[in-house]
Amino acid sequence: MRPHAYFAVVRKGRSADRIVSPTRRIVAQDTLARPGWSAWRVRRALTLLSLASTGWVACGGGGGRDEGAAPLILGYTADLQTLNPLVSTDQNANDLIYHLLYTPLVAYDSTYRVRPWLAESWEFEGKSVVFTLRDDVRWHDGEPVTAHDVKFTFDMAKDERSGSPLGAVYLADVTDAEVLDQHRVRFTLASLGSQPLESFYWPPVPRHLLEDVPPEEMSRHPFGRSPVGSGPYRLVRWQAGEQLVFEENEAFAPSLGGPPAIGRVLYRIVPERTTLLSEFIRGEVDVYGTIGPSEVERVENAEGAGVVAFPWRMFTYIGWNTRQEPFDSAEMRTALALALDRRELREAVLGGRGSPASGPIPPWHPLAPGLEPLPYAPDSAAAILEALGWRDSDGDGGRERGGRPLEFTLLTVGTSPVLADLAQIVQAQLARVGVLVQPQLLEWQTVLGRHRARDFDAVLTNWVLDNFRVDPRPLFHSSQAARDGSANRSSYANPVADSLMDLGVTLAEESEAREVWAEFARILQRDQPITFLFWNEDLAGLRAGLEGVRMDARGELVTLPRWRWASTDREEAP
Amino acid sequence: MIRYAARRLLEAVPILIGIVTLIFLLLHLAPGDPATAYFNPNVSPEIIDRMRENLGLDRPLHEQYLRWLRSFFTGDFGYSFSQHRPVADVIRDALPNTLLLSAVSLVLIFVVGCAVGAVQAVRQYSALDNVTTFVSLFVYSMPGFWLGLMLILAFSSPAMPEFLRLPISGVTSIDYEFMGPIERIVDRVRHLVLPSFALGIASAAGVARYMRGSLLEVINQDYIRTARAKGLSERRVILKHALRNALIPIVSLLGLYLPLLFGGSVVIEVVFSWPGMGRALYNAILARDYPVVMAASFLFGVLVLGANLLADMLYAVIDPRIRTD
Repeated sequence: MRPHAYFAVVRKGRSADRIVSPTRRIVAQDTLARPGWSAWRVRRALTLLSLASTGWVACGGGGGRDEGAAPLILGYTADLQTLNPLVSTDQNANDLIYHLLYTPLVAYDSTYRVRPWLAESWEFEGKSVVFTLRDDVRWHDGEPVTAHDVKFTFDMAKDERSGSPLGAVYLADVTDAEVLDQHRVRFTLASLGSQPLESFYWPPVPRHLLEDVPPEEMSRHPFGRSPVGSGPYRLVRWQAGEQLVFEENEAFAPSLGGPPAIGRVLYRIVPERTTLLSEFIRGEVDVYGTIGPSEVERVENAEGAGVVAFPWRMFTYIGWNTRQEPFDSAEMRTALALALDRRELREAVLGGRGSPASGPIPPWHPLAPGLEPLPYAPDSAAAILEALGWRDSDGDGGRERGGRPLEFTLLTVGTSPVLADLAQIVQAQLARVGVLVQPQLLEWQTVLGRHRARDFDAVLTNWVLDNFRVDPRPLFHSSQAARDGSANRSSYANPVADSLMDLGVTLAEESEAREVWAEFARILQRDQPITFLFWNEDLAGLRAGLEGVRMDARGELVTLPRWRWASTDREEAP
Repeated sequence: MIRYAARRLLEAVPILIGIVTLIFLLLHLAPGDPATAYFNPNVSPEIIDRMRENLGLDRPLHEQYLRWLRSFFTGDFGYSFSQHRPVADVIRDALPNTLLLSAVSLVLIFVVGCAVGAVQAVRQYSALDNVTTFVSLFVYSMPGFWLGLMLILAFSSPAMPEFLRLPISGVTSIDYEFMGPIERIVDRVRHLVLPSFALGIASAAGVARYMRGSLLEVINQDYIRTARAKGLSERRVILKHALRNALIPIVSLLGLYLPLLFGGSVVIEVVFSWPGMGRALYNAILARDYPVVMAASFLFGVLVLGANLLADMLYAVIDPRIRTD
């Protein structure tokens, strides 16, 4: 369900507290309108006395950390599947896994470059890399996190029987792991490439709890529902379909920021958007993740709330089936791309948010080639179509060639309001140059199935990058062009593009790699196997009074351990 | 009576097998499968194939069916692909919530429905009758999910006084664990109000219409005239003589409204974030989580057949003229 559940877009990372514009009732800060919350506080005050002896108050308390007792409530529409990093595939769960529950070996800074995390340092030795782990990180059950955990996790991920996407997505280039001592582990890589450390953005799981689990049982093991992590928060309760309750890990390594400022985080699941929006406006939910463009206005007008917009790793595109007429011609695809006014598309469905796209590397990425997208040039488009022999000979407004009209079906996801709207605007824009588009709106699974089976003329959909590693081969390499179920669903095959991609992923020097990717993007732009429409932007509703929030393409929750309630809240606390 | 019940139970077995077989086939006809639904589309085809193999989805359809049927009848509901836990756990969490919501709605349906219907019949063609007839037809025609959404918007409005701001999602409040026993009960009741209202009110309107008709018919019977002729108070005539007889056909409505209730719970539970079977079923269908869909459909089938049997047996209990044998 995920790809079309996001309406995101990419702009330079901005911190939320600046984005919430001054016109938006931040003025009300000292009288923070948190109706649900004030009621909660009153009730809490009543029950506090009887609870004084329980661990809850103790863990929320502590000098000057009163505000830590106020829970942070996140609201999402999607239920979660598992919190076992080895088998998790869903983005919402991964946000919790990577930023709250566990400590990945490496992390990303706000410029999307790798920085030390669980590994405090690393050293390259030829084609291998030795990580030195911090010695102050412990599992939530008190055991230390060691190199053995790292190796165990690696072996399990690489074991095909576990069906772990981690092994296939992140670890394809890593061949072996070896424990040197308690805190040092050596990985051997098949090739270094320009981003060798990107392969290590994953968290180890505790060996002492999972070593007896057969690999094929890993996805079914109860660990996924009651995980023992090593991150700033631990899971205390999972009420299926209702909420997940996280509490601070008081022993979280000071070198990684120490215990979080907010002691208790609730991840609430409210499947119906209208209900979630209402809960947010009532003040029962503090962060409304992934709001739709049509909800922005209501969130902005809500008392004591604002909207945060931040870049997201998703682009929206039209994929052409290059195996069939008339899309087997690059001129034809280019003509169609020139006839699309992408600025208008973005204005219409995203209110102008998001950024232009010219290739599979997002504009905010360190390796972004900075290539201008194709212009909107309907006249050139018409000229190309004329030259290809598509003319409006009968004067009905639509072009034809040899008696056949120029028309095609544009497949898209009907349950995504954004894509459904886009399809209609695309239809109108192409009609201006005499191309007849028939949008076909289907359910997500059906669209995906037909796209995979290459049973389509053209498809309008999204693509989400899993991480910040640049490797467009699954999407565009000719070896994937005819493969069943591969991601190269447009069946693009160009030997020059192949060699550029093969070269690009191996280049260690960043500037050289950037040049290769720029050349690749130019070729892609000329061939137009898919037409990039824009990079999306994600939107979240945020309660005023939350400080230190920064959301960017790393995820909404990336800085959550450092979020805190504004001081006004603390003064009000009993 | 016992023999009758036993025969009915025996008859239910082929019906249930028919239900699950049909659902199994329909599910597998729908495009996509758990392996594609559950993975994000970036994952390579090899991993998806591996997953399919792990889930047994690479086997021929009849083999999958037989294997599922066999484990099902040994009490093993299987393993939820999308929730990564046994289906039995999913049901254990969700079923009580659905039963609670359905039970409250059922009471609402019959108590409110009978009361309104009775008042309408006694005051036939009065202004009260006309107004409540209009209102009940209006409510009856309203789709439950829409009513639910309207309730959510209304009860979230800032204009609503604080004490009337009933909860719009979930079973309990977030601070439930910190409440005292009485607070907890109040909290649960407050959470039940809107969903059970949205789920039951249309059916209550339906019951009211039936009740009105049924009572009107009884009131015109000779024995009611006799009762009045004996000089009994009107109150006694209606409550003791007319109402009891008018209620008999209403009991059979139980078998009619329970399936509606369970069907409606799919939508209402999603709208009100009620973690019950309906929502589990809805999510499972979207995720192509076959074992959960099968188990949930089976349970709903059992509940509906059980309700029908119960209605028929109650019928015999209430009305001694009806013999089940």
